[in-house]
Amino acid sequence: MSDRSLTAELRTETKKGAARRLRRQGRIPAVMYGNRDPLLLSIDAREFSRKFQRISESTIIHLSAGGDTYDVLVKDFQIDHIIERLEHIDFFEIERGRVLRARVMLHFEGNPIGVREGGLQELLVHEVEVESLPRDLPERIDVDIENLEVGQSMHVSDLVVPDGVRVLASQDQVVALIAHKVEEVEEEDEGEEEDLEGEIGEDE
Amino acid sequence: MLAPKREKYRKRQRGRLRGNATRKNEVAFGDYGLMALEPKLITNRQIEAARVAMTRHIRRGGKVWIRIFPDKPYTKKPAETRMGKGKGTPEYWVAPVKPGTVLFELAGVPRQAASEAIALAGSKLPVKTKLLVRRNLEE
Repeated sequence: MSDRSLTAELRTETKKGAARRLRRQGRIPAVMYGNRDPLLLSIDAREFSRKFQRISESTIIHLSAGGDTYDVLVKDFQIDHIIERLEHIDFFEIERGRVLRARVMLHFEGNPIGVREGGLQELLVHEVEVESLPRDLPERIDVDIENLEVGQSMHVSDLVVPDGVRVLASQDQVVALIAHKVEEVEEEDEGEEEDLEGEIGEDE
Repeated sequence: MLAPKREKYRKRQRGRLRGNATRKNEVAFGDYGLMALEPKLITNRQIEAARVAMTRHIRRGGKVWIRIFPDKPYTKKPAETRMGKGKGTPEYWVAPVKPGTVLFELAGVPRQAASEAIALAGSKLPVKTKLLVRRNLEE
């Protein structure tokens, strides 16, 4: 089965007790919504976690559930950050021919000139929200930063997006920049420390 | 060392740390993060020690974010003092940290160097920690 297809089972039980039982069985509770009534689903945790490494939130997934196949996006997901386990997934059913909004990952390419000259590369935005028809939705937007020199920056307006895709982020927003490298100064630590100790002691 | 510029009240109740972090629990700025796995009050000295350990290791390049700020005064009574006579004097500043809080973030360095720097920083802190990597990070 490819990365873009997924099998789900319908579930009827709701609430936290049922959800916990599902998680103990190695499944993730999920919900699918869109233009019709929401469907309660559960999917195999191992299968989804493996595929989720390679897909983004703008990847259209073919989801099989209850004998039907739906085209969906991962709209949202909840993670237990400490044990890194997916707790719940929201799928959004897309409708062909209808404009949708999704977050698309930026993929930075090239080793900037500024970095080779000793500058520091700062990538400030890793994904942008776009609006497009499902068939035009890119999985990622490639950003060429090869020609950036020290002190230069790239804005959302400089992104090259496919036809039919509109970036919703502010056009002035900085996506990447090459900053001057600042070397760590060790001596200043001692002075600062003394100042603060004085501060805490004096306000008796 | 990090400390507030000014304060509204000099002394604060100590409180308890219950539950896990529900915010500040994802890598938001950099590519790698250092996550606390235990609840603890982390002092500004410990934060500084961890920062220095990390920045020394990645001297050539990279950027470090400190995601926590010690904004809580910690008081202590002098040694060999009888109980009573009021609350002690503020000694230092702490940042209350719940399990799941991202303490530091790092960007602009290769994975190997980041992982070593994060481990060094973690060894300066009074909590168990782990390395986080931003989702969809390509090497």
